[in-house]
This record gives sequence, structure tokens and C-alpha cells, in this order.
Amino acid sequence: MDEAAPLMPEVDFAYDEIPDLHDRLARLRGHGPVVRIKYLGAPVWAILDHQELNQAFNDLEHFDPGDGYRLISAPSMGMTLQTMSGEQHRLARAAVAAPFLPASVRGYVEALIEPIAHELMDRIEGQREVEFVQGFTRPYPFTVITRLLGIPVSDEAMLLEWAVKLIDFPWDPEGALQSKAAFDAYMLRILAERRRAPTDDFVSMLIKAEVEGRTMDDEAILSLFRLLFPAGSDTTYKNAGSLFAAVLGDPALRALARQGEKERAAIATEGLRWEAPTAMLPRLATGDIRLGGADIRKGDWLLFGITAANNDPKVFPDPRKFDPSRDHRQLISFGRGVHFCLGMHLARRELETALKVVFERYPKMRLKPGAEIEFVGGVLRGPREIWVQPYGEA
Amino acid sequence: MRVNFIDDEGVERLVSATPGESVMHCATEHLLPGILGECGGAMACATCHGYVAEEWLDRLPPPSAQEREMLAGCIDLRPNSRLTCQIFLTEELDGLTITTPNSQI
Repeated sequence: MDEAAPLMPEVDFAYDEIPDLHDRLARLRGHGPVVRIKYLGAPVWAILDHQELNQAFNDLEHFDPGDGYRLISAPSMGMTLQTMSGEQHRLARAAVAAPFLPASVRGYVEALIEPIAHELMDRIEGQREVEFVQGFTRPYPFTVITRLLGIPVSDEAMLLEWAVKLIDFPWDPEGALQSKAAFDAYMLRILAERRRAPTDDFVSMLIKAEVEGRTMDDEAILSLFRLLFPAGSDTTYKNAGSLFAAVLGDPALRALARQGEKERAAIATEGLRWEAPTAMLPRLATGDIRLGGADIRKGDWLLFGITAANNDPKVFPDPRKFDPSRDHRQLISFGRGVHFCLGMHLARRELETALKVVFERYPKMRLKPGAEIEFVGGVLRGPREIWVQPYGEA
Repeated sequence: MRVNFIDDEGVERLVSATPGESVMHCATEHLLPGILGECGGAMACATCHGYVAEEWLDRLPPPSAQEREMLAGCIDLRPNSRLTCQIFLTEELDGLTITTPNSQI
């Protein structure tokens, strides 16, 4: 085999929608745990098997995420937890961790997350058919973040526009930098207000946070704010869509979701495995290494095949079956190691709360019969549209 | 060697352990429901919180600053709280007793 040539050259995993992604990954797996595929028009490595991916996540010598992120995100996002490495990352993460840890996040559920879910459910009241991505799964995690940041409802749409553009730097550098300037100016005003009159909210917690005797300057806090939208909103909304697509399509899962907290947690976890929103995560190799039979060189681009590893039949038998009762210890949707997703607790509580509130409000909600759901995206993945009938067949 | 896990309802489970592994690893290997350890032992997820039985506390190296910071965000923190991914087993810790919290989340 010509090692430079990608398998499935007809598919670009960055640009194409790949509705049949899981079939394709299963076929690619037949060529080995680490394969060559096409991404952004060029061949890259893709790590498909769970064992190799777990190893790579934990191997910062050869796969430090900072190098790749400094190229693709630092210009518009600044130095974030994604672009930082080593001791700098450790200290920065420690400084912002508190509001994302279980004790804080538990408090957001009743105060913030449940009311937002109810508000969005109010808006679909009386409607016979609703497109659930635009109606719920997309605005829901976005609103959780804007409310955490204390942004007034009237400014939410403006924030959404900036936040979407912020991560467009590779495609639209000028637009991304303009959005960064507008976003920063807006958020600096909120930050200044909280510095003047601190409360016990999310922003105030960050202002007060101290690591080794030092608090954060404005840029350190702003860089976290910028990261919140792509890392916390896009991912959760894609996954909430996949979760509801699966649950609404199966009466047994709908019944299970109404049972209790443990059941909802298991369903949400299986949703995270079944269709991880960060399907394939780009990385730049930071050292030469032989992995899964592939000779990876420093400077090679890779894709961390999170959704492939979550569907590795050696770890998760019959992987395309949505089964909340399976053993989830090896779930790799949030990564592994020191860069493990800081927002994991928040994301899980949002998903569990969504299941609770949606079926509390609309116990008969079902998919609109005949409306196909297509899951799209090779990097960020979720359903394009989900047409639902909130009141069932009535 | 063995580790004794007690859940929040008082149910004890004495499980075999391997010197060198962490208490978190030992717990997840035995499918103990009270310990998750999702980040794999990097002090990044705060889901392996456990309480060390008083008589064992002095025999463990104290928690690092980073562990203490993460513990501060755990639910129902107590003076004997530890992240179990940071307790590495040695033969001297045979019989170590850990109570798991009502919830990690």
C-alpha cells in the first residue's frame, strides 16, 4: 500500500457530510487501527481503535494538543486551555475549574438549566409539529452559557452571531477577528461590572479564583469565555440532537427516560457513546511514534477518531445498538488525561435535564412519521433536523 | 492484597487489588458503582472522590495542591476526602478501607 495515499479518497472528512460515517469507519477499521483518510484535501492519519486512541490521549509527548490548536484556533480565540501545554495549562485550568466541578454544576440544574429547558418547552406549546434542533437542542446549551455569563436575553442573538464566527478563523480570518473584537468589548463590560460588584455567579467565581496566590487578568478570563461557545454549546447541541433522535424514535427509551435520574443518566451516557458530537478531533503529532502499525512523524496531522473508538466492537459489542444498560467505563467522548473535557459535568446535567423536562412537558412527544433524520458531519456530528410532534398523533 | 469498599448505605465489598494500581483503577476494574474515574486518573474529572477510613489516613502521603483544588469542587467534602486516582496501592495498604460517596455528581 502507498502509505501516502488515503483510503476512501472520494470522501473528505472535513468537508463532506458523510451520513454513512459509521459504516465507513467500520470498513476503514478492516485496514487497521490507524489508517490514512482525506481531511481538508490532504491525507491524514485517523486513529480508529479504542486502545490506540486511549494511548494517544494520554501520550502528551507525541500528541500534545497545544501545537495543533495554536495553529488553527489561537489567532481568533487567544491562548485557551486548548492551546496551552504543560505547567501553563495546569495552572490556567486550575484557575477556571471551580465553576465546572460537581458541587457548582449541581447548583446550576435547578437555578438555571431546568428553567431554560422549560422556557424553550413553553415556546412550542400548542404546536402540532416542531423542528426540534432549531426549537430546542440548539438554543438550549447556548442559553445555558449566556445565562451563566449573565448576558441579558435581549443580547443573546448578537452573542450567538459573534460566537459562531469566532471559530471560523481557518475559513474567514477577517470575519473571525472582527467577531473577536466585538465579543471582547462586550464581555469586558460584563467583567468590569462584576469586578466592581461581585456576586456569587459564574463570572464572579472566576474573578475571585486564585491559583498559587494569583488571580486571573481580563484576557485569561476572556479566553475562557471565547472557548465556552464552541467547546460547550456546539458540542452539547449536536449531542442533544442525536440523543433525542434516538430516544424519540424508540417507545421503550421514551418510557425509560421518564423513570428516574439513574435511567436518564444511563440514556445520556449511551447517547454520548452512540453519536459523540466531536466525532473526529484534529491533532498535530508532536513527535515520531509507531502506533497501531502506522509510522507517525512529528508534524503529521491526525484525526482522533472518538466516535470510531466509541464504536470499536472489541470494547463495545454490537456498537450501533443504542443500549443504555451497557458497560460505559470505556466511554471516550470527553477525551482522557489532563485535557479531559472541563465541561463534562455541565454537559451531562444539561442532557439529563433535557430528557427530564421534555418528557415531563410532552410525555407523548414522538418523531413525525415519515420524516427521515440524517446525521451529518465528520468532525462535529449531529442530526440536521428532527421533526417532532409534541402531542403525539393527536 | 485487598481493598475494602463501603458504599454510602454501609454495604461492604472486599475486592482483590494489585500493588501499583490506584484505588480508582481497582474500583472501576471491579465495576464498583460509586467510583467513575472518567478522565483515567489525571485529576481532571473529579469523579473518583472517596473517603479514607480514619485509621488509614496517616499511612497515605498527603494530597497534592492540585488534588486539594479538585476536591474542593466535589460534593459532600470531608476532612478524609481523597481523589482515589491519587492513592496508589502498596502491600502496606492491604485492607485499606474506602467509603464511596452517595454521588460523584
